[in-house]
Amino acid sequence: MNGPSLERGINALREQVDAPVAAFFNSCVHCGMCAEACLFFTETRNPAFTPIHKLEPLRRIWKSEYTFMGKLASALGLGKKVDDELLAQWEPLVYDSCTMCGRCSMVCPVGNDITYMIRKVREGMAASGHAPSGLVSATKRAVTIGSPMGVKLPALQAQIRHAEEESGLKIPVDVEGADYLCTLSSMEIMNFPEYISAIARIFDHAGVSWTLASDGFEATNSGIQIGVSEIAAELVGRVVKAAEKLKVKAVISPECGHAYMAIRWEGPNLIGRPYGFKVLHILELLDELRKEGRLHLSGKEALRLTYHDPCQISRRGGVVEQPRRLINMVAEDFVEMPEAGTMNWCCGAGGGVSTNERADDLRLKVFNRKKIQLDAIQAEGMISACSNCRIHLEDGLEKYHMDIPVLSLTETIAAHLAEKAPAGVGAS
Amino acid sequence: MSGISNDTEFRQALEGLDATRQRVVAAKFVEHVLDLADDERLAMVNRTAANSAAPDSELVAALSAARAATFDSHTRCGSEGDWSEQAGYFVARAAAAAVTPAGQLPGGSAWQAAMSCRMARTCRSIAQAAADNPAAEESAAQYRILSEFLDS
Repeated sequence: MNGPSLERGINALREQVDAPVAAFFNSCVHCGMCAEACLFFTETRNPAFTPIHKLEPLRRIWKSEYTFMGKLASALGLGKKVDDELLAQWEPLVYDSCTMCGRCSMVCPVGNDITYMIRKVREGMAASGHAPSGLVSATKRAVTIGSPMGVKLPALQAQIRHAEEESGLKIPVDVEGADYLCTLSSMEIMNFPEYISAIARIFDHAGVSWTLASDGFEATNSGIQIGVSEIAAELVGRVVKAAEKLKVKAVISPECGHAYMAIRWEGPNLIGRPYGFKVLHILELLDELRKEGRLHLSGKEALRLTYHDPCQISRRGGVVEQPRRLINMVAEDFVEMPEAGTMNWCCGAGGGVSTNERADDLRLKVFNRKKIQLDAIQAEGMISACSNCRIHLEDGLEKYHMDIPVLSLTETIAAHLAEKAPAGVGAS
Repeated sequence: MSGISNDTEFRQALEGLDATRQRVVAAKFVEHVLDLADDERLAMVNRTAANSAAPDSELVAALSAARAATFDSHTRCGSEGDWSEQAGYFVARAAAAAVTPAGQLPGGSAWQAAMSCRMARTCRSIAQAAADNPAAEESAAQYRILSEFLDS
């Protein structure tokens, strides 16, 4: 890759202008409804955080190069330019105050997919060198080491040994012909390794044939977050290569929102061909096991529990009912947050915001929206299915002095497995 | 002598303890790995956990301090992980588990504390690129600690 430059940034933005983008800009009626759907606006009332406003660099390119009036204005020297000053000014709007949660796209009365365009703006920002340093470093590590957090195979192997000891089960690695290839996020490997023993116990219990891949274990995709499709394709390609080498039937995305978005929805377009295998989120697989009667649980959580919908899994991924059916198996007293499901409010840390230290104060400020949701239902515990959401929810709850434990749904299911497992063991 | 030699026996023995004794023995597990963390709050938390007569107000304050230490030491999403520092994160999680009220953690507070202590040891070994299995050694130490506790 060449180094970033303004020229590369402008070219990248120009390449992003396709028919949907042109139609979206043309049809925007400036109603401002997207503002009221964005927690960065609702919690700050800063008009700069209006989602459609964050697209200004892309809008200028579209207008000046793809509309008659814009071309005319440019010819007369009256057009608004895209330069480094503008891009530097917009960098915090595009990266710090947007989690690409997709809520703005849901409310647009003319159907503009604003999130789709934010993703495109990031391509230009990254190519021009106007991306947050934290995301740049994470992306470099993802490419060179294979993990945005620098997790190498020996570290995973050590965590696997720990999980094997904790669960008493063999964790299968590089098992050719297994049904499912499970991927992991570096967050899970580093901060929540109990996820590994949780899936091992569930799969052993349900008789699922599965494996990890030593050369394709990382599910996350910094390329998506920073906005470099070339890198995003490279990272997706590693998982695809591992899946094809091991001849698995399906790849399982872990409890990570954007990882699911990357491998399930953007992946085939990024690599330019369909997969020869299915992709499921771990909750989709667990719900299938439930439906087939292969999950036998005992006992229920006594706490009044609610569920935080990770945006990329629920709103943008469509996995909405599965977690609720699973929670019903383990929760005595489940209560929905207001505007739950596809219209849930983001935790405030997705889309690379949590990687971006500059955005720390802002993401904690906008957590107030989650506090309002939780206060309304008096929840005693919160379940989620994204490690990044989970750590930020814990951070926000601490800041707002709310004593609410945050649980992983997969780990909670594992904690309630009935003692006696049905016949059948995994691929190991 | 309570001869605990595997996790099944270990877990059963822990489940047989009441909440206070779980907390006290969890503090002993944490004490064994406390040198892997450099957050001074954790020693204070552990002193409270180890005190079988600790009042509720002190336990609440200790839990708050342990949680703060946990948040302060976790590796943020996308940042470069340092496994030595990550050991401190798991010590903080173990300390938090020790003072978490009964019924809030799967397997009980002492079991969760024990697991986090083993993770702390594993993280340190990753940092040192050690080829041995420190978690197994930590497990053995925990069996011994619990056996002695039950016999005392």
